[in-house]
Amino acid sequence: MGLVDKNLSLRNRNKMLIGVWEDEDALLSATQAVVDKGVHIHDVFTPYPVHGLDRIIGVKRSRLARIAFFCGLTGLSLMFTMIWYMYVKDWPVNVGNKPVRFSPSWIPVMFEGTILCTAFGMGIFFFLRNRMLHGIKNDLLDERQTDDRMIMTIETCEGMDEKGLIDLMKEKGAVETREFHQGVQTVI
Amino acid sequence: MIHDSLIRERLVTGDKTAADVTRDISRPILNQPSSAWKIGFTLSLIFLGIFGVSLFWTVWTGIGVWNINKSVMWGWDITNFVFWVGIGHAGTLISAVLLLFRQKWRMSINRSAEAMTIFAVVCAAMFPVFHMGRVWVGYWALPLPNAFGSLWVNFNSPLLWDVFAISTYFSVSLLFWYIGMIPDIATIRDKVKTKTAKFWYNFFSMGWTGSTRSWARYELVSLILAGISTPLVLSVHTIVSADFATSVIPGWHTTIFPPYFVAGAIFSGFGMVATLLVVARKVMNYENYITIGHLEAMTKIIMVTGTLVGIAYLTEFFIAWYSVVEYEQYAFINRATGPYWWAYWSMMSCNLIAPQVFWFKWARTTPWFIFIMSIVVNVGMWFERFVIIVTSLHRDYLPSSWVMYSGSLTEVGLFLGTFGIFFTCFFLFAKFLPVINMSEVKTILRNRE
Repeated sequence: MGLVDKNLSLRNRNKMLIGVWEDEDALLSATQAVVDKGVHIHDVFTPYPVHGLDRIIGVKRSRLARIAFFCGLTGLSLMFTMIWYMYVKDWPVNVGNKPVRFSPSWIPVMFEGTILCTAFGMGIFFFLRNRMLHGIKNDLLDERQTDDRMIMTIETCEGMDEKGLIDLMKEKGAVETREFHQGVQTVI
Repeated sequence: MIHDSLIRERLVTGDKTAADVTRDISRPILNQPSSAWKIGFTLSLIFLGIFGVSLFWTVWTGIGVWNINKSVMWGWDITNFVFWVGIGHAGTLISAVLLLFRQKWRMSINRSAEAMTIFAVVCAAMFPVFHMGRVWVGYWALPLPNAFGSLWVNFNSPLLWDVFAISTYFSVSLLFWYIGMIPDIATIRDKVKTKTAKFWYNFFSMGWTGSTRSWARYELVSLILAGISTPLVLSVHTIVSADFATSVIPGWHTTIFPPYFVAGAIFSGFGMVATLLVVARKVMNYENYITIGHLEAMTKIIMVTGTLVGIAYLTEFFIAWYSVVEYEQYAFINRATGPYWWAYWSMMSCNLIAPQVFWFKWARTTPWFIFIMSIVVNVGMWFERFVIIVTSLHRDYLPSSWVMYSGSLTEVGLFLGTFGIFFTCFFLFAKFLPVINMSEVKTILRNRE
């Protein structure tokens, strides 16, 4: 699996069915109904995090926590190495004839370095994985999907009962249904 | 199980819908600035000008223009440094600690509190940087090989720990603030009309579309950032307190400093949050989002942390007596009854006695009164740092080194000027970015549990 989540791009895809909701509960029950029919939901776009949605559509648990841990370890080792090199190897300073080796006074700097690397390491991986870059063109399906509307997208494949799915969406409270193909949306 | 709460008071009043939230919060960004904003911004610029002049005079002439001397070698500058760093801490507390404790009332105030953190840390950093005197060699504080050999920075010094702590705190807070704001920047991106605005909001929204996959990662990253910011914020003020506590100066050399400083930081930070938000909710018509319930919750924290610092003041006195060290005892008696008694009792009355008024519900729920009390808290916490620094230093071991100290006009100008930096940044933030976290507030509209 590549670093960037390819699912986040809507370009070069088969025809997509789109359902628009304005109510969170209706959306949740609709996604559950669609999934129960054995249909794979490509993604759901919401203006705020709707809890439970990721589990319903089968989004895997992110591994960013593990990445954060390893970034933290890297930061800790880097800071330890840096202090050891400067303080022990390159220019040992005799302070009251105390031994020149690890002491608790190294801890604050090591700790801060750990936090810094954890935050920024994880941040960078978060941006990469999420296909986020300054100025990148966004694949917006509806101008109000960052305001108050929730959009469900289903990528069609051969043999899919498209009409049945559209009807199900409408029955489950979709305020609008559309088709999206090669950058063009049609209300159906 | 998720259900509508029957007993909890609503966190957002006025039966708002998600669209209402977007409209209300983005109104100042999409419309022309109000006259209140213009007046406030102009005033801030005037103070920023005072800062510029004072700073120019300091750098041009040297820090001899400050009244600090060989006994009181830290004066208004480090007082202001600790004051501003402390104010910054409430932002992280609200966004990180309250997130870990699942306190949903933080959602309306976390954005502005985090902004406050960043601007306050900028103000704070000015003082130690310019106190170095030759600010153009300020980079010597970084772990770089010395120009004249390979002598490195001193890792035993809390002043160096501060360099790492403050810079890490600033960078991580900025990242936390920015990541938290991306979905809202995307909302604004889809609302603005002009080409320039569209370009910039698009640039900073990083292509956010609100995908469920992105939200899942976003929430995880927020949680981890909160988890690492919590020990970070504690470490930062602990290290600031170590600047004092690791020295052998009576009045500074105490083990109570780290928790006492952290409690004081939260106290003063909430004081400043209250100052800002009581005004902002009125001027920007956000009373449905920052409700009396929010103000009440903040005043409770102010009361608890004020009492904590009060107990710390009394404990210091007790330990000085109990230690049987006459220098310690003298330092504390001199604080309360010496020539700076007025500063000590201002601190005691503003920080320990005044917040006790919040035991009364009326005091906790009356905005104008909370505003006045928040100013009292800010004044008290400035005096706390002044008392710790100046009263401990002005009477050294040798009576020949006893001096009195008061800030010079330049020092006063620098302090007032930092309010210029702070409020200029805050007004720009209020004009160009959403002051309330829209995407989080939308999740609590239904008052669910």
